Amino acid sequence: MALIRKTHTTPSDGNNRRLPRDRQGLLRQLEDEAADIRRWAALDLAAFPDAAEEICARLEQETQTSVREAMFTTLIEIGGNAVVNGLIPLLRSEDAALRNSAVEALQQLPDAVSPYMATMLEDPDPDYRIFAVNVLANLRHPQTPAWLVQVVAHDRDFNVCASAVDVLAEVGTPEAIPALNALPERFSDEPFMQFCVQAAIRRIQGHDG
Amino acid sequence: MKRILVIDDATTVRMYYRQVLEAQGFAVEEAGNGYEGLEKALVGSFDLYIVDVNMPKMDGYTLLRTIRQEPSICATPAIMISTEGQAQDATAAYAAGANLYFQKPVRPETLVLHVRLLTGEVAP
Repeated sequence: MALIRKTHTTPSDGNNRRLPRDRQGLLRQLEDEAADIRRWAALDLAAFPDAAEEICARLEQETQTSVREAMFTTLIEIGGNAVVNGLIPLLRSEDAALRNSAVEALQQLPDAVSPYMATMLEDPDPDYRIFAVNVLANLRHPQTPAWLVQVVAHDRDFNVCASAVDVLAEVGTPEAIPALNALPERFSDEPFMQFCVQAAIRRIQGHDG
Repeated sequence: MKRILVIDDATTVRMYYRQVLEAQGFAVEEAGNGYEGLEKALVGSFDLYIVDVNMPKMDGYTLLRTIRQEPSICATPAIMISTEGQAQDATAAYAAGANLYFQKPVRPETLVLHVRLLTGEVAP
């Protein structure tokens, strides 16, 4: 349960942007008990890129979906290293909704995410590597297929590889096919891997919708 | 014919479950995220949901909690299948309203057996 400090006595008076719109005022309002005040504060903080770290830190305490969405909207608008550094740790959150929102936000920041991707894909935690692969699913970056091929060729975890195969089915190029063809042998006791590799190759070759 | 709604953002996973279940006489419909799954669940008449955890737009836990609060569909059984295999993941699945939790990959014979059990095709 979030600890929300009351800073305003009128939860919703329909004109919540009368409150101070300076950086410190907006950050204080992120802790207000009224969700609409927090939401407007989150949106207006887009004018203060140096508040990215504080907004990211606040995400795990925020429980209202609409406020979280506003915070992510602002973070995507701000972009850059500070935002990516604040969002990447959320991939380890136990809160699935927060984790998935972080994945979707990181997908919108390809240039800022790309320097971190190799490290993310080598993390010891396979769940974390799967979330890194999930980021690649919609990351508009020219290196995306190559990162996925590296995963398929070298990762030892079944679910990490299966996740990468699924993404390659959508974004893969013919260069991925040799690595895909080698995969079923590594997981020969799992019929699912054989199936999804063949499905991915058919899609890459344009034989399957 | 029993109708199964498969909700998973991985296309190959949906294709695989469809192939396995249709071969055993089930009718399968697919959704690629939690919102789409909820929309289909509300307008369709399904005998079972198979739900992933990590999906864009709406995660599997939120979807199941929403389904369990909706009188028209709350009694439909659900199997949650995720890549995550820690004890707390299963606990979270059952708390959200799953009848069963499996870690991926699920053997096809295991999936079919439990789908049959939960849809009443065979006695427990």
